[in-house]
Parts: sequence; structure tokens; C-alpha cells
Amino acid sequence: MKKTTTITALIAGIAMAGAAQADKLDDIISSGKLRCAVVLDFPPMGSRDADNEPVGFDVDYCNDLAAALGVEAEIVETPFPERIPALVSGRVDVGVASTSDTLERAKTVGFSIPYFAFEMAVTANDEAGISSYEDMKGHTVGAVAGTYEAIALEKQIEEWGDGTFRPYQTQADVFLALSQGQLDATVSTSTVAMANVKTGNFPGISVVGKAPFDTDYVALFTNRNEYGLLNYLNLFVNQQIRSGRYDELYEKWVGGDVPSLMVPNAYR
Amino acid sequence: MFEYTFQWNQALARLPKILEGAVVTMEVALLSMLLGIAFAILLTLLRLSGSRPLHAIATTWIEIARNTPALFQIYMAHFGIASFGIHLSPFASLLIGITFNNAGYLAENFRGALKAIPDTQTRAGRSLGMSQLQAFRYIIVPQMLRISFLPMTNQMVWAVLMTSLGVTVGMNSDLYGVTQDLNALTFRTFELFAIAGVIFYVITKAITLSARLVATRLFRY
Repeated sequence: MKKTTTITALIAGIAMAGAAQADKLDDIISSGKLRCAVVLDFPPMGSRDADNEPVGFDVDYCNDLAAALGVEAEIVETPFPERIPALVSGRVDVGVASTSDTLERAKTVGFSIPYFAFEMAVTANDEAGISSYEDMKGHTVGAVAGTYEAIALEKQIEEWGDGTFRPYQTQADVFLALSQGQLDATVSTSTVAMANVKTGNFPGISVVGKAPFDTDYVALFTNRNEYGLLNYLNLFVNQQIRSGRYDELYEKWVGGDVPSLMVPNAYR
Repeated sequence: MFEYTFQWNQALARLPKILEGAVVTMEVALLSMLLGIAFAILLTLLRLSGSRPLHAIATTWIEIARNTPALFQIYMAHFGIASFGIHLSPFASLLIGITFNNAGYLAENFRGALKAIPDTQTRAGRSLGMSQLQAFRYIIVPQMLRISFLPMTNQMVWAVLMTSLGVTVGMNSDLYGVTQDLNALTFRTFELFAIAGVIFYVITKAITLSARLVATRLFRY
């Protein structure tokens, strides 16, 4: 009798301890589903194919992560400005959304180590007479609201004290405005610029040069207090590089020289 | 399932910028309202003109303004017009979009108000030697504006709220635009939008209350 009571107590204790300590990583594994916030108007990182299915680097990355966790991946389309609301309201577990890991943002969410790095390029309307980054001075320029390059470009225009900055809500709107001549130039990630110019949807624009911004390292993100999951994400990013999967995905979606994710002369 | 710690000081530090945005929002709303009233009177006149093409123009305007989303109207004022080679700043596009919407709704308000004014008043004016336009100007319009005054404040509230759609055409100096910019910078989504929400509420409440105050002063018999 006494023995059964002890065992019952023990089982109850373990069950309760398990429930109390279940963190997000556990929740994902037990629910069998990993929900990723992915931006789907940001080719080649995320977009929709002819059948309206999500495709892109970030989509594949989320699928790899889900496979590593042994769960099913669910891509939740999330526009740039809605990444944080989606996370904190519990609609998604992880952001695989080309998110720059700024210190300001890290006060709110938890970032993994960088999983991708962008170089910035200037794309201009052919009639604006802009052939370099400095030529943008005094012109009307724009970028996607809420992105790393938008923040940097707005700051640059303020420093120059000459010209206008306009944020648009989507990458498609930026290139539409550029193609219409509403914008003279934009700064975007070079991968995105190449991909959009190549589509032919936006006539009269070309990539004219590099923007001298610091390399834009982007990271996976989740809730700041989820150390278990953050640890896992860090190891996952590391394993993707070790296994050659990062190179493979880069070749598949972007092509060319694979950018290094290492910061020279830094500990981490 | 809401894992978020509110850090109000992070957002409140940006309050001066947000308030600057609120001023721009009020500017746009006020301008769009003044222009909207002018165009609405014009539309009303066109509908009363008896000329079929003029009537058709006014009706088309009103129909589109009232039966399509304001977002569509503002988007068209920016990207739509641009495909004809006319480039407007976000401020101008937003102002035109909201003015277009205001004029459509107000014209309908005015039509309702006109119906409440007996025809005999115009005829009385005419018999006193006024021209058709004079009778309209001195007898009908004042009464029309009085009857539709409170519906007009409704539209003013709408105009304030519609400014938030400016972000779709690249506007970043109004209340909503500034808030969204700051959100991108800091990711303090909930604090920032809560502050913006409160400011929107205060602005619109101030409009309705002051309108009621003005109405009791102005329209005493």
C-alpha cells in the first residue's frame, strides 16, 4: 500500500515537474509542428511559386530546421512589420525572416547567431542619372519600411541633409515606385535587387553599384527568454554550415560567392 | 500565450517624435476636410445643374468614393496616377485620396440636408429678386451646412483615422507612419502602437466634443 502511494506520488511529481519545466523547445517537439514566420515578398529569400506555394532560402531553412527537430514545418506568411506581433502573440515559434540582429531589437527578442549575410546594392531608375551610391544625394530614394537598409538609408539622407527618403510597405511597392520614376533609387540587398531586376516585371531599372553599409547579418529569432530553443538554433545554424547545407542553399537560391558569416577578429 | 514584457520608458522616450507625427496627421485631416467640403459643394451644384454630363461626373465621383475602400483610393492617388507619368509626394497622394473620399461622402450628406430644406425657400428668395445662385448661396447653403454639421464631424473623425493608410504610399511623417518607423527601429511594437492608439483617441474625441460645443453656440435659434 505504502509502495503504491510512493510510486503514485513519484509519477505525479515527475509529470508535474515535466509540465512546469516544458519550454518552447519541448512545446514544439510535443506538438509535432514548427511554425516559422517567413516574409514571402522578399525573393529569393521568400516568395510564392506559380502554384502559390511558399519557396525560397528562408522556406528551405525552416524546413531543414523542422526536419532536424523531427517535426512538420508550417510556413506562416509574415510581412516585415508584423514579425514581432506574430512572435509574442504565439502565432509563430521562430522567425526565419531575414531579420537583422541589431542591438536595439535584441532588447525585445532573442537572436541566434547569424544564418545569412547580405551585401547592399543600389538600384536606380535608368533616367535618374545615378551610377553610384554617392549619386543618390539630393534624390528621392526609398526602401522597404522596417528593414536594415531602410534604417541605414534614412540615416544617410539625414546626414546628407539633401534628398528625400520614403519607406514603402513591401519590396514590390518599392520596385514599382522605382520603375514608375516615383523613386530615383533604392538600396536593397543585392540578392533581392538581382532577383527583381531579372523578373522583368519592373522595366527601366538596373543595379548600379554597391552600398557601403556594414554587412547586414541576419539571424533567426524567438522569444528572448527561451534559452533552450536559442541554444538549439545556434547549434542548428552552425551545423548547417558544417554540413555544407548553407553553401548548397546559397547556390540554389542566390549563386556566386558564399558570404562568410564570421566577423573577423571577433570572439563570436 | 503573450510572452512580452512592457518597457514603457523605451517607447515614451520617443514621444516627442510621435507627437510631431500627430501634428502632421491633424494637418492632413484638416486640409482634406476643408478641400473636401469645397469639392462636396461643387459636386452638389453639379448634381443640381440639370446638365446630364455634369450630373454624371458628380455621380461617378460619389459612387467611387463611397463604394471602394479608402485604401484603394489612396493607393490609386499614388501608384495609379504615377502610371500616367504624374509623380506626387506621399503627402500629396494621401491628401488627394482622403479629400476624394471626404468629398464623396459629404456630397451625400449635403444631398440629404438639401432634401430637408423646402423648395419654397428658393422660390421665396427668387421672388425677392435674388438670382438662382444668390438664393443658393445665401439661403440654402447656410442651412445645408447647419443640418449636415454633425455628420461632417463624423467625416472629420474618419479623415483623421484614414491618415493611417498613408504608410501604403510611403508616408512616414504622420502619426501612424512615425510609429511604424519607430517600431522597425526598436521592435517595441505594443508600447508604441498603444501610445499611437491613445493619441488617435484623444484627437478624435477632441474633435467630436469641440464640434458639439461649437454646434450649440452656432446653431441657437
